[in-house]
Amino acid sequence: MATRRRGNVDNQPPSVSLTEGLPSVWQRAFSAKSQWPEKDEFLDVIYWMRQTIAILAGLGWGLLPFRGFFGIAIFCALNAGILYIYFTSFQQVDDDDFGGPWELTKEGFMSSFALFMVVWIIVYSAVFFD
Amino acid sequence: MFADTLLIIFISVGTALLSEGITYILVYRTETYKKLKAEVEKQSKKLERTKEALGDSSDKNQKKKLERQEEKLKTNSRDLSMVKMKSMIVIAFTFTSLMSMFNSIFDGRVVAKLPFTPISWLHGISHRNLLGNDFTDSSFIFLYILCTMSIRQNIQKLLGFAPSRAAAKQSGGFFGQAQPGVK
Repeated sequence: MATRRRGNVDNQPPSVSLTEGLPSVWQRAFSAKSQWPEKDEFLDVIYWMRQTIAILAGLGWGLLPFRGFFGIAIFCALNAGILYIYFTSFQQVDDDDFGGPWELTKEGFMSSFALFMVVWIIVYSAVFFD
Repeated sequence: MFADTLLIIFISVGTALLSEGITYILVYRTETYKKLKAEVEKQSKKLERTKEALGDSSDKNQKKKLERQEEKLKTNSRDLSMVKMKSMIVIAFTFTSLMSMFNSIFDGRVVAKLPFTPISWLHGISHRNLLGNDFTDSSFIFLYILCTMSIRQNIQKLLGFAPSRAAAKQSGGFFGQAQPGVK
């Protein structure tokens, strides 16, 4: 979750100052209505949550197994839906601060989709064809 | 089949690390890159703030200031891409030879079974060099592309080499996810 950043400019205010006094990112990620003064931190949370959902869904879909485009459609709906509920109802962030709900929805979507496909294909092949 | 799949994941992780390693040696550790990247990030954030502050204002001076900032950002982004060019050329050459090697190793081999039938215009990739008409058979290249798409960006993020969002947003995906491994 803590994506390291490089090349901070000397005359920029250090990002720590904005989050000083707040609980860790992990704690805030799992607490309702947390404060996110650093936008990138929240976007990182969304990003890694999507990757986790992708792995779990890939495992589930491969073991059940789900087949066809139904599986892909369900994953897309689930991935978008869970995170939408997370940032609108659980965290209740103002999505305009992040460029609208679309920006939050597409954060890490493609890589999570690819990750889901890889896990789904691998588990499905290994369990049912090996 | 499972051994092939694991090997492809291993290859994908290896090539992603290799390309990041090459880029680190040729680009990331250089002072020019560090300076330019910091500059672009600073300018992107500044431009974003200016745009927010300006809103729908029609003040000509403010608009000119905004244009100047955008122009400066464009110039720096272009310089940054020129710095990256060197590593991109090296990566392209390395991966072209690596890919031809992997293609010959996995030629005609079904590496995985797809739980869906890909749409017709993907058959050329998903069923490349495979015999038969079972389109749920997956070729090496299809799985490799998917692995690269998922693994490379995550590795970049974990290593801290992912381009900043502000810079990517301002330059319209200029630093977007490049896939040098997919040739």
